Amino acid sequence: MTWPELRASAAIIRREHQLACRSAAFWAMVALGSLLALWRATVPGTSAALAAYQTRQTIVLGVGVLAIFLGGAAARDRRYAVSELVLAKPWGSSPALVVTRFLGVCSSLLGATAIMLLLSGVGQGVLGGTPWRPGPYVVALLVSAIPIGLATALGFSLATLFTTPLASGIAALYWVVIPLTRAHLPMAFDVTLWQDWPKSLLLGAALVSLTAALYARPARREGDSGRRAGWTAALLFAAALAAVLVVTARGDDGLLEPDPVLSAMASQVAVEDRGAPGFWLTDSEGRLVGLSDFRGRPVVLAFWGPGAPDSASALTLLDEVAREFQQQELACIAVLLDRDAAAMRLLGREGEDGVLLLWDRGRHFGDGMEWSDSPLAVSYGVTAVPAAFLIDQEGTLVARLHGESNLHRVRPAILRLLGER
Amino acid sequence: MQIEIRGLRKVYPGGVTALEAVDLTIPPGVFGLLGPNGSGKTTLMRILATLLEPTAGEAYVDGHDVRHQKAAIRRMLGYMPQEFGFYPSLTVYETLDYFGLLCRINDPSERRSRVEQSLGRANLDEVAGRRVSTLSGGMKQRLGIAQALLNDPSVLIVDEPTAGLDPEERLRLRNLLVELAAGRIVILSTHIVSDVSVTAERLAILDRGRLLFAGPVTELLAPLEGRTWIIDIEEEELGPIREQYFVTGVFRSATGMQVRVIADEMADSRGYPAAPTLDDAYVTTMKQEARLDDVA
Repeated sequence: MTWPELRASAAIIRREHQLACRSAAFWAMVALGSLLALWRATVPGTSAALAAYQTRQTIVLGVGVLAIFLGGAAARDRRYAVSELVLAKPWGSSPALVVTRFLGVCSSLLGATAIMLLLSGVGQGVLGGTPWRPGPYVVALLVSAIPIGLATALGFSLATLFTTPLASGIAALYWVVIPLTRAHLPMAFDVTLWQDWPKSLLLGAALVSLTAALYARPARREGDSGRRAGWTAALLFAAALAAVLVVTARGDDGLLEPDPVLSAMASQVAVEDRGAPGFWLTDSEGRLVGLSDFRGRPVVLAFWGPGAPDSASALTLLDEVAREFQQQELACIAVLLDRDAAAMRLLGREGEDGVLLLWDRGRHFGDGMEWSDSPLAVSYGVTAVPAAFLIDQEGTLVARLHGESNLHRVRPAILRLLGER
Repeated sequence: MQIEIRGLRKVYPGGVTALEAVDLTIPPGVFGLLGPNGSGKTTLMRILATLLEPTAGEAYVDGHDVRHQKAAIRRMLGYMPQEFGFYPSLTVYETLDYFGLLCRINDPSERRSRVEQSLGRANLDEVAGRRVSTLSGGMKQRLGIAQALLNDPSVLIVDEPTAGLDPEERLRLRNLLVELAAGRIVILSTHIVSDVSVTAERLAILDRGRLLFAGPVTELLAPLEGRTWIIDIEEEELGPIREQYFVTGVFRSATGMQVRVIADEMADSRGYPAAPTLDDAYVTTMKQEARLDDVA
């Protein structure tokens, strides 16, 4: 590619970017995403890294849906009846143009992501009460590029080949259903996470290449053969997805790279005498429970995992502590860190009455429970489970107790806390 | 430079035959393509614009095959389809700049001068900064012409360009097409006869996919020389006149009505000879075709 051609491609990307940025749907999505991100980032005690992480997770899902609806340049051409003008131009049906337009749509969506991260960052800095740092936000933007690129590829390809809103609807449904049901699905189907970037990159590249190859075929635009081309595209898409999944499928306990935003978070873990990181997690019945629900009560927050040998005795100990300090309104919360909530449901039925069981999605890095991608565990600095934290009535972290042997110190710590008052 | 069409046939996947063995040669100048709606004009335009594959036959634009040399044809082609739109959020200038990029005018300064030239030709300079969504129908049609002129095409194809325009806009567009025809092939497809009569030197008439006539306008008019008459009548006489003569037009006059008829002899004393117009010739051609169909 020559220098003038590169400049022309950049100019097309700019025009595509403008087209997306001038739509009402785009700004409605940015506003909604920013509000959601602010809501999560301004929970008291949330560190910059945790806020960046949570914002990114929210954004990737939200922008993904937007990407799918705004993604199809050809669908937009059809909506505005521009297709014939475009196709009759010398460059109108070239595969390079398809790829360039795809990059233009990606660029507008990454712009939206940057705006949302910025607003979330400002909100966290002003209302979060913990020191503000730019690093995690920059990393969050960079690592968002892959899943957002994949969502765009998905929407762009389907909408370009089918040019119907139905195709976009199906793609959006896929995008939303995957994270919502991730507890019940094998990891191989989850393409929304940064950690799966090799899979996402392959799938995205396969989709865009396929679209570029099929886009200009005249048969696509003529009745029956157009429908046939559509079905061919759908089958090829399914085949590409299957191939990528087979190639990249991993065992559930396989090694994963730590998320860079979580790594950045490790330098900002919760410390004693500062606000404890807040959270919203689901209980065994799927209800959302937040740390702020326990304001005014002392809280023991424990983390455990079914793979860690001491977890069972730690839960028993927590149950005893909960009963012992029932009068003092002590709340005992045990957060299960696991791929899914199955272990929690099992225990829930056995009736650990005194302890509130919550679940946070965590995957194992390394052989044991040495590292987790649960942002909450990382923000509390959990390096091994079981681990427990004592939080006072004002939400300040007063004690960190790591390992089963240290857990027995929870009683004196509670007594000290209650005695001080 | 010319366009050569030989035995061109198009059958759509549903089984509808849009073109039946059309043979046509189109030299430089304005070439009118006349026919009622659904006669196959748009199909022919789209095949020449490389947007549609013919089922059979051949078409060459300046020697380039429409099937296999699409890129070469698109480089010399300006196309304004019958129905088109623009991205409403872009301005007129941005729209033309975007289409300039699609024409592979990669150099920014060259693109700027081409865009400005097109704006000037289509008389859109004053609205260059306005968003497309705020333009009137006539301005949008002119923008359609402007985008077709960006690559300085040697073949300009315009499909029903005057549809929905007010008389002033229509006049302006016709004048523009005549201006542009110098050194170019301009194919003007329309169902409005007056569009062709004031602009084209040559024309073709299509009906239900069949070519009824192709050649210079004078050749179409020649058989009607000395056979075209105007008769001043009272309104109630229209019925009997229609039975007696082949009527090509009825007009209201200051005293009553005027009918234009085609006849070898004029028996009515009120009738006087008139110069044949393209309207007369078009109506006659279409009527003859209908009669032939009835016989068949």
